[in-house]
Amino acid sequence: MNRRLRYMCAAAAALLVVAAVSQLPARVEAQPRGKNVYDAHCVECHGDMGRGDGPSAAYVTPRPRDFTSGKYKIRSTETGSVPTDDDLMQSVRQGLYSTAMPGWARILSDDEIADVVAYIKGLSPQFGTPPRPVTVGAGVPSSPESIARGQQVYDKLQCGKCHGSDGRGTGAVATTFEDDRQQPLRAADLTEPWTFHGGATARDVYLRFRTGMAGTPMPSFADAASDSEMWDLSNYVVSMARKPVWSMNADEIKALYESQAADAKANPVKRGAYLVETLACVVCHTPVDEQKRMLPGLRLAGGVLLRIVPFGDYPTGNLTSDKATGLGNWSDDEIKRAITKGILRDGTRLLPFPMDYASNSTMTADDLSAVVAYLRTVPPVTNKVPAPRRTFLPVYLWGKFKMLILGQDPPMVFFPGNAGLTGGR
Amino acid sequence: MKRFLRWAAVVVVVIAMFGFLAFLYFIPPFFTTPPETFGKLMADAAPAVTDIADPAERAIAERGRYIVMTSGCIGCHAVVGSQGPDLSLYLGGGGLKIQTPHATFVSRNLTPDKETGLGRRTDDEVKRVLRSGTFSDGHVVEGTVMPWPVFSNWTEEDRHAVVVYLRHLKPIHHVTPEPVLGRAITIPGAIEQDYAGKDYGTSKAERR
Repeated sequence: MNRRLRYMCAAAAALLVVAAVSQLPARVEAQPRGKNVYDAHCVECHGDMGRGDGPSAAYVTPRPRDFTSGKYKIRSTETGSVPTDDDLMQSVRQGLYSTAMPGWARILSDDEIADVVAYIKGLSPQFGTPPRPVTVGAGVPSSPESIARGQQVYDKLQCGKCHGSDGRGTGAVATTFEDDRQQPLRAADLTEPWTFHGGATARDVYLRFRTGMAGTPMPSFADAASDSEMWDLSNYVVSMARKPVWSMNADEIKALYESQAADAKANPVKRGAYLVETLACVVCHTPVDEQKRMLPGLRLAGGVLLRIVPFGDYPTGNLTSDKATGLGNWSDDEIKRAITKGILRDGTRLLPFPMDYASNSTMTADDLSAVVAYLRTVPPVTNKVPAPRRTFLPVYLWGKFKMLILGQDPPMVFFPGNAGLTGGR
Repeated sequence: MKRFLRWAAVVVVVIAMFGFLAFLYFIPPFFTTPPETFGKLMADAAPAVTDIADPAERAIAERGRYIVMTSGCIGCHAVVGSQGPDLSLYLGGGGLKIQTPHATFVSRNLTPDKETGLGRRTDDEVKRVLRSGTFSDGHVVEGTVMPWPVFSNWTEEDRHAVVVYLRHLKPIHHVTPEPVLGRAITIPGAIEQDYAGKDYGTSKAERR
């Protein structure tokens, strides 16, 4: 009897505990539901504190939004105002075209999107003042006359200074800029509407002029042009669109690729920058911290320690134009030989992995020269990278034995931090 | 005589041991293979696009082939045989396992196989992974595991070309394991640890 009572007491206690624990999520939920969504999906780019400094942030152009600043490019609100909830929901739902921000509409429910928007707003005090939405009128329907007027507005407002006389940057003073966080930006190519981050309807384009893009050199033109002029300009920009490659026929594709090749030849540094950005050079040649965030000021400066078991420790090389520790004193042919054959300046050979010189050797001669031309322009960073260290012989032989005879796959280990000496700073 | 035999045995054993150690030291002969050999392997590996009938699609796929080849997708997405990457199973996946503090990933099958490859995914889904590392279940793969942050910088048209080319690969039936999220890494201080060298897929790869 006594024992039975004890069991019943224990069961009751257990029930109470279970009841209490199952109540917990309900109590916690009210506020950080949005945080859960954020932590699961947004941290990789926007960072755990919402500062736009996640592990992948520094590799993508344009950079992810810093939510603590309260500044947003894609808005339907006056200059200096925060966006409306609908603006934010829209950006999360459809994503920002041609950036690393995907559309979440098919992945997250509307409730989850609303929760995460509420959480993001909580990261910036600017949302204390309510947004001031602009009133968008009926607009001016597109017509040849409106487009012709729009072209005059385009010239009057000197849009060509950044976007070029043809919308593609031709004759522009500059097409690459920095935003207010000193991060790189490109002026939009107005002939490629599929790259407009906030959408490419006349209304979308109108809103970008009308409200400006906060934090970027793109100002609001609300004071410089009348409402109808802005609509004419929008119609003109929409009319500049060229066909994307997926709608072209074979001849058009050939012409497009030939013109791109000619551009690349005329401006090898730009082509080389594109290649270095997209060939994953940066991933191994820039040291990162424990959270995998790029260490500031060391882009392409090497020093990432890669332990390739059982061969040894191979720190990655300094690819900046520094004369003493980078590629500054290498000849073009020496750089090309390292990229395509894995043979360094002093004649030592690299393992065929992880530096993928075999794949790089399939590049065309023009692209290879473009990569070298770009590397010459990377600002010098002093970072003396130590020589590779081969594994102690018996350990090496034992590693080989495990690999070849015991069939264990040896790891390649990627360490955080800079193995090089930056010195003098 | 007996003494001579004993000495001879010792000498043979010592030579065999040194031979074995020398074998271990030199195999695989990366440093004696000419570097052009590795480059030729890569160039020959990417299947040509000459059999695509539509000339527009062929032109786009040719661009995609160049990007896939130079970007070294095969470095991770290859079934590895005894003689390096098995090039007849191009981009069949399963040849690389990556452990991070957050998850274990195995390289995926990029061929258009309908059950185990990209045949299961729409073009938009493939482009989304290449642009933002985000899969349809909402998980975001780490940028050093799959370097999507750098592929995110491809122009939209180049990304389209890559997808068009992947659609024209030979389908390979090869099950690669889904990522195991939340698993800890074993080597202290490391942020990532790769294992390459054998097939980490769960079934034998075959060409259809």
